[in-house]
Amino acid sequence: MPELSYREAVRDALSRAMRADEDVFIMGEDIAEMGGSMGVTQGMLDEFGPERVRNTPISEMAIVGSGIGAAMQGMRPVVEVMYEDFLTISMEQIVNQAAKHRYMSGGQLKVPLTIRTQGGAGWSPGAQHAQQVEAWFVGVPGLKVVFASTPSDVRGLLWSAIYDDNPVVFFEHRTLYGLKEEVAEEIEPIPIGQARVHREGEDVTVVATGRLVHEALAAAEEAEQEGVSVEVVDPRTLQPLDEDAIVASVKKTNRCVVAHEAVTRMGFGAEVAAVVQQQAFDWLDAPVERVGAKFTPLPFAPVMEEYVVPHAKDVLEAIRKTVQRDGTS
Amino acid sequence: MANEVKLPRLGQGMESGTIVKWLKSEGDQVEKGEPLYELDTDKVTQEVEAEASGVLLKITVAEGEADVGTTIAVIGEQGEDLSAIVGATAQPVAEAAQEEGSPGAAREQERERGRDATTAEQMPETRTPSQGNGAGARIKASPLARRIARERGIELGSLKGTGPEGRVVAEDVERAAAGAPAPAAPAPAIPGEIERVPLTSVRRTIARRLTEAWQAPAFQIAMSADMTRAQHLHARLAEQAKEGEPRPTVTDILTKACAAALMRHRAVNALWAEDAIELHPSANVGIAVAIEAGLVVPVIHQAERLTIAELAAARADIVTRARDNKLRQEDLDGGTFTISNLGMFGVEQFVAVLNPPQAAILAVGAIEPKAVPIETGLEARPLMTMTLTCDHRSLDGATAADFLRTVKAFLEEPGLML
Amino acid sequence: MAKVEQRRGVSDETLREFFREMLLIRRFEEKVEERFRAGELPGFLHVGIGQEAIAVGVCRALADGDVIASTHRAHGHTLAKGTHPNELMAELYGKLEGCSHGYGGSMHLYDVERGNLGANAVVGGGLPAIVGAALAFKFRGEPRVAVAFFGDGATNIGTFHESLNLAQLWQVPAVFVCENNHWAESTPAKQHMPIEDLTRRAEAFGMKSLKVDGQDVEEVHRVAARALKHARDGKGPVFLLCETQRLVGHYIGDPQVYRDKEELNRLQETADPLELLREKLGLSDADYEALDQEVQELVDASVEFAKAGTDPKPEDALKNVYA
Repeated sequence: MPELSYREAVRDALSRAMRADEDVFIMGEDIAEMGGSMGVTQGMLDEFGPERVRNTPISEMAIVGSGIGAAMQGMRPVVEVMYEDFLTISMEQIVNQAAKHRYMSGGQLKVPLTIRTQGGAGWSPGAQHAQQVEAWFVGVPGLKVVFASTPSDVRGLLWSAIYDDNPVVFFEHRTLYGLKEEVAEEIEPIPIGQARVHREGEDVTVVATGRLVHEALAAAEEAEQEGVSVEVVDPRTLQPLDEDAIVASVKKTNRCVVAHEAVTRMGFGAEVAAVVQQQAFDWLDAPVERVGAKFTPLPFAPVMEEYVVPHAKDVLEAIRKTVQRDGTS
Repeated sequence: MANEVKLPRLGQGMESGTIVKWLKSEGDQVEKGEPLYELDTDKVTQEVEAEASGVLLKITVAEGEADVGTTIAVIGEQGEDLSAIVGATAQPVAEAAQEEGSPGAAREQERERGRDATTAEQMPETRTPSQGNGAGARIKASPLARRIARERGIELGSLKGTGPEGRVVAEDVERAAAGAPAPAAPAPAIPGEIERVPLTSVRRTIARRLTEAWQAPAFQIAMSADMTRAQHLHARLAEQAKEGEPRPTVTDILTKACAAALMRHRAVNALWAEDAIELHPSANVGIAVAIEAGLVVPVIHQAERLTIAELAAARADIVTRARDNKLRQEDLDGGTFTISNLGMFGVEQFVAVLNPPQAAILAVGAIEPKAVPIETGLEARPLMTMTLTCDHRSLDGATAADFLRTVKAFLEEPGLML
Repeated sequence: MAKVEQRRGVSDETLREFFREMLLIRRFEEKVEERFRAGELPGFLHVGIGQEAIAVGVCRALADGDVIASTHRAHGHTLAKGTHPNELMAELYGKLEGCSHGYGGSMHLYDVERGNLGANAVVGGGLPAIVGAALAFKFRGEPRVAVAFFGDGATNIGTFHESLNLAQLWQVPAVFVCENNHWAESTPAKQHMPIEDLTRRAEAFGMKSLKVDGQDVEEVHRVAARALKHARDGKGPVFLLCETQRLVGHYIGDPQVYRDKEELNRLQETADPLELLREKLGLSDADYEALDQEVQELVDASVEFAKAGTDPKPEDALKNVYA
């Protein structure tokens, strides 16, 4: 079993798809000679040439928009938007065009486009290079939204995204690129819309995405020492959402914590909490706790950044709250 | 034109009242100003007068608790159509009032109904608004705890919650279901021996206020006064009393002594106002009166201005009205000091609980002959022990002692205060 | 009837066909206006009266397999690209038989089978996808061209610049047809463009640009054919500037308070592409009446067809969100 980093896993999925299928190509800023700002596409120019590994001008509207046009002609483009923050520039094309062409045409068109992007704090880039905006896209009918947290997941999900006939906004986390994991020789496609239970537990379910999956796993270890058994569930796909898996877990543990790096307010966790209370109300033994970033733009100074985004200790604190027994709050 | 009779707000902070009984029946002619019904507020039971003349067409709240502003009756002309008024407002209130008036009974019914989901979820909510105390308050329980309790027929109210803020969580219900001793399960009732007396609002107020009072840092000082001269004065005043006028009592002399002393020691004539201490210009002396429903403290306002005879008249008036449940709100408001006299019951001395926000309350025992050393040996003198309970937030020991010494001096030399 | 010389590149017969199609668009738009005012049509409608020659001239120059992206003023392009008036009218009535099956409406007309990739209600919104479609044709070596229609107003938005830049950079087979009617809704060109000659914007990207009188369908057709050949031959994209006039308001019901009435009257008398072509063709009144009656019948029939169409079920709204 080969060991792949998260970065290599993304590259592996892209390369295998491009080898298998001429309709697949990639484009984005600095992805060719430089190999992408995160090094994800390193070496791909040599293998596939400049036609299929296309460096683009700094033109997020045209990058996404031309991807849409090619996808509507039956190709399966994978475009890279260098930072999540820059999705804002291409927002019109994603929200008004990619998401709606199928609907507005009454089902005549398909837009099999994958929009890869990455973000996340932990390296002090400041306010315009690390924001987590995945929740914005979950509210747009017509889009699928994926946020993978491990090498095997990112590889299997990217493959499925490329072969999905809908536009998929595919989030990667900046701080996970170096994360390594043993993966199968062949890609095992992971269905879009299927959650993963990372760790089974009895007392509390933590529904976490992205980096917070790993923070939640660390928190679960600590909680174990305190006699609290924690189940960690990563939805992996935010739209469509594997509600069944989340609800089943909460019905087992009777308590739920939601955790992500994006701000808590209107974060994806709010949706999970709503689903849980609606479908598992009579199984809840404590209010759903939320873990997310404080409501600020991301600050630059490392001490402030560290303070704003959530870590394992915040997840642990939320876990403790849900199992609190001492009567204080 | 029909006039709705609405439950009035009769004092600051009054949110609801309990209608004890109607003094008129439906169909009776009533005149404006005529007593219409008896209302029990958290301070007093009083007669409320009609605000309009006409025929009492409809009583919509016959008895029980109702919120201020609730339409409780309609006065108008014979034959008027009341459907718009009565149908729209009165009925639901009447129902709610009945349910809220007897939380014990409501719980009983709840148990009988087998705690179906509707009951469990809705009943507490209908009670919450006007009740606000333990008896009818919503039980905090997690959804899971509620479901398990429902499925296993366990009474949530009988459980002590161990979750945050006392929330009943699943574990609490499961412990109860397993038969383990629940932390606060009620002791098994002995059939037929315990009588549950529903709280009147007066009793509830007493409980609440005295519990509050218990939280104040209080201290007591005691002194005995030689009542020889006071008794002489009493005898003389009693002789002078005119036919038909109330005869002054020792209490009246004591009230006079206290009022005069309060004027000299204004620090004692004080109210604790959280962010300040209010020193009042008049001695509004409350007299604790035992009545059937409990205890009330009607106030003699500006006692320092009244003669002992006038004090006697005022005292006689409020005590009579207190016993007849005819006190008005203003009789109860504004007290700055309280006297509680249990001497007539043979109590030698006792400690009274503060009557917040007043700074002090004087507990007075019986006048008993005691051996007192004099130059030639011992002599029996009529002594009366007074115990002053003070709110230490408002008052310090020396100030209190000064005051009490003045009261003692006035009683021993009544001429000083006159 | 005067003979029309063949040197123009199209036969008399073809030119009469163009006239018939332009008249169909005109009568269709008039009918839409009438039915909208009668309260039968929901939504927000923009008609293209005055701009018919561009739709017909360009679309008649397209080859099978070429694709277009249109604008909020899309009825003319859609009819010219081959969608039957029945399907278009049915769409405006919100029927399942409509070209977008009732999901699109006037501003979102699609007919993928006939190469219409959709009208776009976001000004400039369709341009990037045309670059992408052209890129796909280039990838696959297909001799197809992707054409974007847009107005002068769109040349101020970012997608226009990003798209022209990328198309020229990658030499994709695209033609950008600018319908310069000199109005961005109610804002005149002098208030939204610091230059008069829009071809300079394309030239800034090094793109070949052509300019034509957009009221002369024969000229539009001739120049569009040149542009399409250039693109199809792999010589790169072309910017085709068509000078035109919007002889009506921005939307149906627009009181045009911003517009000089005398100037508008003058344009309606001198710049109507149908009148210009009728004169050029020397159509007799009888011929004209016959053509008019023919298209009028088509238009009337389209209303009948649309009204008899199938209303979607409310819950049909839940379909077609995802493939």
